[in-house]
Amino acid sequence: MTVLRRWRTWAWVLPAVVLLLVFVYYPIADNLRLSLFSWNAFSPEPRFVGLDNYAEAFGDPVFWRALGNNAAYAVVSLVFQGGLSLVLAALLEELVGRRTRGLLRTLYFIPAAMSITVVGVLFSFLYNPRYGLLNEALNGLGLGHLARAWLGEEGSAIWSVIAMSQWQSVGYTAVLFVVAIQRIPREYYEAAKVDGGGPVRTFFSITLPMVREMTTLVVILTISGAFLVFNEVMVMTAGGPDNSSQVLGTWLYRKAFMEDDMGYAATVATVIFVITFAIAAGQLAVSRRRRYDS
Amino acid sequence: MISTSLTRPAVVRAQAPIRLRAVVGRLLGWSLLAGFGIAVLYPVLWMVLSGFKDNQEIFNQPWGLPGELRWDNWARAWDLGVVRYFTNSVIVTSASIVATTLISAWAAYGMCRLRLPFGNGVALLVLGGLLLSPTVALIPLFRLLTSMGLFDTYWALIVLYTAFRVPFTIFLIRAYMIELPRSVDEAATIDGASTTQIFWRIILPMSRPILVSAALLQALFAWNEFAFALVFVSDDSLKTLPVGLMAMQSRLLTDWPVMMAGLTMAALPTIVLFLIGQRQFLRGLTEGVGK
Amino acid sequence: MNTHRWTALLLGTALVTAGCGGGSAGAPAKADLSAPKDKSGTLTMVTKFADPKYAPYFEKVVAAYKAANPKVDIKLEQVGDQPYKDKIRVLTASKDLPDIYFSWAGDFANKFVRAGLAADLTGVIGPDTPWGSTFAPAALKAFQYNGKYYGMPVDLDGKYLAYNKAVFTKAGVRVPKTFEELLSACDTLKSGGVQPIAFGNQYGWAAIHFITQLNAYDVAPKTLETDYAPATGAFTDPGYVTALKQFGDLVSRCGTKDANGLSHETAQAQFLSGKAAMHYLESVEFDVLDKSELDWSFLRLPAPAGAPGDTNALTGAPDGFLVNGQSKNAGLAVDFLKFLSSKENAATMTKDIGWLSPVKDSATSANSYPQLTDALQDIGEAGSFAIWLDTITNAEVAGAYLSGVEGMLSGSRAPEQVMAGVQKAAAKAKKEVG
Repeated sequence: MTVLRRWRTWAWVLPAVVLLLVFVYYPIADNLRLSLFSWNAFSPEPRFVGLDNYAEAFGDPVFWRALGNNAAYAVVSLVFQGGLSLVLAALLEELVGRRTRGLLRTLYFIPAAMSITVVGVLFSFLYNPRYGLLNEALNGLGLGHLARAWLGEEGSAIWSVIAMSQWQSVGYTAVLFVVAIQRIPREYYEAAKVDGGGPVRTFFSITLPMVREMTTLVVILTISGAFLVFNEVMVMTAGGPDNSSQVLGTWLYRKAFMEDDMGYAATVATVIFVITFAIAAGQLAVSRRRRYDS
Repeated sequence: MISTSLTRPAVVRAQAPIRLRAVVGRLLGWSLLAGFGIAVLYPVLWMVLSGFKDNQEIFNQPWGLPGELRWDNWARAWDLGVVRYFTNSVIVTSASIVATTLISAWAAYGMCRLRLPFGNGVALLVLGGLLLSPTVALIPLFRLLTSMGLFDTYWALIVLYTAFRVPFTIFLIRAYMIELPRSVDEAATIDGASTTQIFWRIILPMSRPILVSAALLQALFAWNEFAFALVFVSDDSLKTLPVGLMAMQSRLLTDWPVMMAGLTMAALPTIVLFLIGQRQFLRGLTEGVGK
Repeated sequence: MNTHRWTALLLGTALVTAGCGGGSAGAPAKADLSAPKDKSGTLTMVTKFADPKYAPYFEKVVAAYKAANPKVDIKLEQVGDQPYKDKIRVLTASKDLPDIYFSWAGDFANKFVRAGLAADLTGVIGPDTPWGSTFAPAALKAFQYNGKYYGMPVDLDGKYLAYNKAVFTKAGVRVPKTFEELLSACDTLKSGGVQPIAFGNQYGWAAIHFITQLNAYDVAPKTLETDYAPATGAFTDPGYVTALKQFGDLVSRCGTKDANGLSHETAQAQFLSGKAAMHYLESVEFDVLDKSELDWSFLRLPAPAGAPGDTNALTGAPDGFLVNGQSKNAGLAVDFLKFLSSKENAATMTKDIGWLSPVKDSATSANSYPQLTDALQDIGEAGSFAIWLDTITNAEVAGAYLSGVEGMLSGSRAPEQVMAGVQKAAAKAKKEVG
């Protein structure tokens, strides 16, 4: 009787468990399997090909270019979201009075509250070679020689997308850092002030070490975000020109839904899975350790 | 206290050069803050203002103000699809908010306040769900949803937005529920309340603050989600805003003002939601990030 | 009291059972094309004509058919050009292919034929049948595969170089007769401060249309046919490299550097505003020019002197509709298509949306404007259609061409490198088909 009763508590978790098993776990396991097959929408019977898809991916320059672009995304995002955001947050806390601080914080967060499509479409207008604001500004400043077809040139397409992404995310991470800084006991700062430390030294001796946890988390989130990136690239360049701005996510999409090469696409998905899973497991380890520390 | 009094003289002596440096530093700091503020605000402002311009003004005076407030741009954008995409987004977002928060709250309740057989297994399952990214599942989900007949329906998005956000939301809510004093449900049990009654009448109302945070974060997620919406809905009349806007962009390639008006209308709800629920947003974000 | 628990359980089981009950795949059946005795039932139809300029015409025809046959319901879905490619793949994969669906001529249609998803219409639309004899034979031929006819052509489309007469006159430029004359005309225009050709290549296909035409000029028809078929593609003929080189010259002397970042429509706007002298566009787009103030005419992209290929080939193709080979309503579908292609409806199409119809005698001075009738005549004179390179080849080869030419435009690839990429893709396609 009591055993039955205890099992009835499963009714509470069942919906969540079923949803997870059917729509999260099963597809990811199935993806691993599918990456060993060759199939498309017109040949519904998948053909087993072993590791052929992997061999093809690893021998495909576009795959490596995409991976490289993901890495570039990660590095730039680290600099901006790990560095600039923290500096902005520290400055907000150090310089700005309560009222204005709230206002600026809200302002900084606005891009993150906007849909990536809105931002992407907006920026593709700003980047337009003929009428875009960016080229207009460069021409106006006498820097006309820098003007270019930002999203239409291989040298600049991915960087233009990355720049837009920083615009959207720096404020968001800055707000996270603000919260972390506010959790630092005020006494530390008072003591530092009394010890004669200037704001810069205080930043390095107190703020930086005290927000270490948040920094680690931001770093992890940023890196895994950089390997999952899809929307930004899809909206602005769809990977072009000549696949120069392709990232793993968009390459997967193109292979699966444009070129109809599902097995190859599943292989790319597996690579993304391995990378992001490793990073996420790292995050978990870090937050575990933190819990033991405190 | 003692150390304070000892070091004070040194501070006084060093004051003059520090002050100059401090002024310069402040100036630099402020210009960075202001510069970033402008960099963030200007494109957004330009988007809103361009929605009132005509093509001539956008192309010839991109920096100028609109000559008049052309509301018909907004009406056109609305009629050309925004209204439909907007409605779809509202439907999908609200349904997924209700489903996610309820299912997560049930699970969190079951996991942290009841004795659940194999509770650790469930916790692990949920935890693992946090580590898996939606992009990876696109192709199998595509097969799954087509075979279930959910492809190209609201349900595809509602179910997926719920499934992929349930782990995060469970952890968010669980962290809060754990902190609630055990004594309340013990007292209620003694009064003869069932676990069900305790959940609906006591735990759920007490968790309201975190439920609001969870709902807001889910709103932000679902309103802006793009990859699933792109792949799993292809009927133009079912598209949500993020994907619909792209379709609009390809229809309106040379009509910038109408597009800008459409973009502004698409961005507005989440911005307003953020402005209203800022505190809850931040709580959810920081709690969630720390998980 | 326990209701919510039950809801939860129900929800759970619903999901589980749904997860197990896979879709039921209809067994391949031979479509019955004979006209139904009693016209009733529901037809599904998907087009790529969501554009507000085109959509109303199809809605109108559907409404008219429904009014005439009250027991028939037609579920018409129209999506955009790009989304359609995704949409139809998805519908195919989920075995939800509509009764009637749009198709480009070329490998796009052939894929459906090979998969048994397109009904063989030879018996009803072959050139010798009453219905088939109402169409221009070249248009029917575009949907021929292994000697059988699979599609009903709905429009005719040719790619032309439109030019602004006033700008030509002002710059003292004569209408070029050869590719070389075109290039030197560009030089003259450029030195006069006019952009010679408005060219936007944001999604890559605009360049591919030039290449389609140049390939037809530079490569012998037999070789082209072999290479464009996925089972036999090699792309080793030197003509392909020549075509790319000519295209490179064309862009550097007639185009602008930022083409990859500009949309075709933005480029078109430049031509419409008189800032550019020429614009390469499809005859289905002529309507936009006709509605403008522009004084314009058009020519084919002129062939290079001594080109070894078919110099009378014209880039273009009819678009058409296929009937689902597994449709239970195939007979009704054919009946509707007959209605759609009646001379009256075809003439309305030309009048309403400015498309040329493959239905004989459908364009007259009453329902079209001079340039359109000229185009119809020109299409009639063309020896053959050079079907769009990105729809006649398989997706892999098309992808290699698209990105390769983009790379060429931005200066990172030489024509030989582009072809190396195409050859690799062709090899892969061969492996998949064979």
